[in-house]
Amino acid sequence: MKPYLGTIKGTLIAWFIYRFSFFFTLAGNLLYMTLIFFLWKSIYSGADTIHGMTFNQTFIYLALAGSLFILFTPGTDWTISNRIIDGSLIVDLLKPVDFQILTLARTTGFGIFNVAVITIPSLLVLFLGFRADMKLGIGLLFFPIGIMLSFLISFAIDFSLGLTSFYTESIWGISTTKTAITSLLSGALIPLPFFPQSVQNILRLLPFQAIYNIPLSMVTSPNLSVLDYARALGVQVFWVVLLFAFCRWFYRRAFRVLTVSGG
Amino acid sequence: MSLIEARGLSKHFKVLNHREGLVGAMKDLFSTDFRVVKAVDDISFAIEPGEIVGYIGPNGAGKSTTIKMLTGILQPTSGRLIVDSIVPYENRQKNVRNMGVIFGQRTQLWWDLPVVESFKILRDIYSIDENTYNSQLGLFQELVDLRSLYSTPVRKLSLGQRMLCDLAAAFLHNPKVILLDEPTIGLDISVKSKIRTVIRELNDTHRTTIILTTHDLGDVEALCRRLMIIDKGKIIYDGEINRVTELFGVYRTLKVQIFQYGDGMMDLLKARLTDKFGKASEIVVENTEPGWTDVTVNQAVVPLLDVLNFLMGTLPVKDVRIVEVSMVSVVQKIYDGALR
Repeated sequence: MKPYLGTIKGTLIAWFIYRFSFFFTLAGNLLYMTLIFFLWKSIYSGADTIHGMTFNQTFIYLALAGSLFILFTPGTDWTISNRIIDGSLIVDLLKPVDFQILTLARTTGFGIFNVAVITIPSLLVLFLGFRADMKLGIGLLFFPIGIMLSFLISFAIDFSLGLTSFYTESIWGISTTKTAITSLLSGALIPLPFFPQSVQNILRLLPFQAIYNIPLSMVTSPNLSVLDYARALGVQVFWVVLLFAFCRWFYRRAFRVLTVSGG
Repeated sequence: MSLIEARGLSKHFKVLNHREGLVGAMKDLFSTDFRVVKAVDDISFAIEPGEIVGYIGPNGAGKSTTIKMLTGILQPTSGRLIVDSIVPYENRQKNVRNMGVIFGQRTQLWWDLPVVESFKILRDIYSIDENTYNSQLGLFQELVDLRSLYSTPVRKLSLGQRMLCDLAAAFLHNPKVILLDEPTIGLDISVKSKIRTVIRELNDTHRTTIILTTHDLGDVEALCRRLMIIDKGKIIYDGEINRVTELFGVYRTLKVQIFQYGDGMMDLLKARLTDKFGKASEIVVENTEPGWTDVTVNQAVVPLLDVLNFLMGTLPVKDVRIVEVSMVSVVQKIYDGALR
């Protein structure tokens, strides 16, 4: 555990050095919030609820999705891909640590810093600045756990994408496609309840909605039973386990390309 | 038992035969036309604890491939390789725990962090105890003043300072084996000599086994007693360094730039030199870069000055440089049987 904690700490220090880029990201995120506020205000003009969601619920859902999007986009796929292509991956492989967990530690450093510098300030602006009216409920207790699991799902997808660089040399196409698919199918751009029922049924079988829709629903509907939330977390855990198992398998395979045909 | 043992070690790569042009590149997409490159071809050696071995050879000879196999990153195609009774490829993490590696062009330090933060992270990664950590850094402090660099971000270090810090990083966990791949590449003389001092000192103190890959024959002369020369995947020499230094010590190359250099000039030059100094003088005339003619002289047979004077007297010489013999010609000499 100690090697990885050291890495998390190192990443944190490094991010603090980059602090200015974060201030701009925060400003951009607040701008995005303002944008969706007015956009959905006009969509909701005259209607109390659309697809069973009030304006307030939709706004909180999407404003949070915007902040989480930054948290869940640490660029792990790009980092791995670059390290593979320019060969600096070798430096990681010379350490007596597991490459996947090392990468996770780096991503976690980014995550912790991001929560402190972007997510929490954004939430404050959301509730104090926009006076978004959030209902309190037991769901809020599950929200942080949901976020952590989402972070892991998102990491696993990025990690395996990054590894495809062993085969393709450039992941630009795959990576942008992934961002587009995830944003659309996860609820990050449009709340999941807005999709037709048949489409929703399919989307609920995919891992993407487990990243955004599941934790966000905990905030927008905070008064369901504990069992409901436990079931939602269960779905997330299922995806974490499945995707991490896939990562392992894929890593072994991709690594063989390196060890057999050279880097 | 030896610390490192390789027997019949080979690494072959399958490389696609690329075709020319756009059409060729398109055809390549579906090509199954591979050729096998024998990067390392059936080599055997044994290295004892505490040795410093120079591992040299021209570009593409197989040095880095061997190093990568030692680290466990590359899987040998065939043969046996054991490092401290571990098979590197099968147990990468355990193997690198006792290893420090420097690839001259890469750094393992964190680019944006102050140097000392990288050391602290390494302390966590290798679980280095406080004593080892302090004594290793103390040793470096004595040899080269590293502490003044601790708070500088790595990206602001000069190449030489960075290499010294990288060296400290590689030695920090007091590994049994250190692999140095081109540690002095691109450095000036004073840093080079510092780095050599550090390596020698650490080898003395801890009996660390060191394999040193380099292009700089000065490095090996300064540090190693044993030399392995690899070329085209084969080890062509493994033994005392003295015999090799004697060999390349007496050869010097005169690089001459001649006015109105024409087609027949090389042959003319060869003929004149043979006329003057005789066939036994072993003077080699080559054309390695445009405009320059290389005249390699064995000083044990003909004094360099004589050749120079002769050239100046007979040809319209524009410019002259004297260089030590290159790696390529050392290898060539060995092929020609110079060490037999």
